[in-house]
Amino acid sequence: MSVIEERTGGLCERDRRRLDDLYDRLRRERELFIGYPCTACFDYTPLLRFLAFPSNNVGDPFTESNYHLNTHEFERDVLHEFMDLTAAPRDASWGYITNGGTEGNLYGMFLARELLPDGIVYYSEDTHYSVNKILRCLHIRNIMIKSRPDGSIDLDDLRETLRIHRDVPPIVFANIGTTMKGAIDDLEGIGEILSDLAIARHYIHADAALHGMILPWVDRPQPWNFAAGIDSIAISGHKFIGTPFPCGVVLARKGHVERIARSIDYIGSLDTTLSGSRSGIAAVFLWYALRTVGRAGFRERTGHCLEVADHAIDRLDAIGRTPWRHENSPIVVFDRPPPSITTKWQIAVHGQIAHVITMPHVTCAHVDRLVADLAAAKLAEARA
Amino acid sequence: MSTPLQQISVVSEARPNVIAELIEALAASEINIETLDSQTFGGTVVAILTVDCYDDALRALAVAGFPAVGEDALLVRVDDRPGALATLARRFHQANIPLHSVRIVRRAEGWGVVALSTPRTEEALALVRDELIA
Repeated sequence: MSVIEERTGGLCERDRRRLDDLYDRLRRERELFIGYPCTACFDYTPLLRFLAFPSNNVGDPFTESNYHLNTHEFERDVLHEFMDLTAAPRDASWGYITNGGTEGNLYGMFLARELLPDGIVYYSEDTHYSVNKILRCLHIRNIMIKSRPDGSIDLDDLRETLRIHRDVPPIVFANIGTTMKGAIDDLEGIGEILSDLAIARHYIHADAALHGMILPWVDRPQPWNFAAGIDSIAISGHKFIGTPFPCGVVLARKGHVERIARSIDYIGSLDTTLSGSRSGIAAVFLWYALRTVGRAGFRERTGHCLEVADHAIDRLDAIGRTPWRHENSPIVVFDRPPPSITTKWQIAVHGQIAHVITMPHVTCAHVDRLVADLAAAKLAEARA
Repeated sequence: MSTPLQQISVVSEARPNVIAELIEALAASEINIETLDSQTFGGTVVAILTVDCYDDALRALAVAGFPAVGEDALLVRVDDRPGALATLARRFHQANIPLHSVRIVRRAEGWGVVALSTPRTEEALALVRDELIA
């Protein structure tokens, strides 16, 4: 069936029904959405009027653009807030709003490759699969490092690998919360290895897609940000903050970015961003979320997520699913359940493990319903 | 003109019926397997296939949850100990063979299966002949 019809005008009855069906399906599935790191509770209704404009943040958010229907001013406010949260000095840092974590990671690796063209990227086994695509796109040499059973990078393997390649500048892709286990790579340990081996030229990028908006709000965060020596970081906007579309933030040391800056005549902007057209609405939505939830709200939200995670551990443990989680992570790992459960509850699996992620919209009631389903599935299996 | 057969390696947990599951996954996508060899070590099985529809087969295997490696990569076996990959990479460096990527495909019971990619495949094959799986 062709989507573009000969006639013009409004939707026919069939089309309206189709949209209604889609709306109902999304609303239904949201109630069972506990396996992926995206917040499903937000209300951007006061911003709907901004959907009437073809806003576009093309170019560098810190430079004037000929495209005046932009929201660069709000984008800069968001970036400054993220700089504060990641201990990035405002006058020595730069960034932009991306279309998600992968673009942020792509930007970090692009910057690293431009600065260290002969470098080798080191990343752990537990790194998100999209990083392989990025490394292929950028054609950077790379070596995968073993992970520990808890999902963090194996520092012994990293040390031995760096020792052998100490003549080549390392680019470390560090996970600040792995996708499956929520493991945070030991940045202090990585720094010690680089120091012990006297490797002065190096680059560290942090993938903090989810945990980059959790660690600012906990009492004892693991080292994770610019204070821990990173050179760039990617954080998602649609994950912990929550937006109805994917978006994110990438930040980097300004000195690095200035070394690769290029002037683009067409838009009259000194542009170092990867995307051409960029969402103007994402900047306004993120700004609105930061302003309305506020610091106290994010602290409370984080506390709620970790409390529900502990509740999940108690309940899953009671039915023998060997659950565990990392400190400061809402990712609860447990024994892989049968397909009927993973499909219904949209639970991601890897090998023999699965996880639930207690995002802000997930409650103890959700967890209890999942545990009841797991118990029922076990009973049915025993009877079969 | 017929399309030359292309090789795919599948690295998986050595569990009962895994080869049958793999064949079923390809059959369900109407892909013909021309040859199939397999070897098992530790807790890992490596199946080396040639198929008539290479891209479709890679897609079908991915959907079925089988980690597949295309023929542009070499698969080698290494000890599961710190620095084992680095040592392997160093051998390439010393032989002046550029190594583009080194990726762990699977680790189990003291062994690792590693995918290497290099633009000089023939020389690389000779260099790692002792550890070569596919």
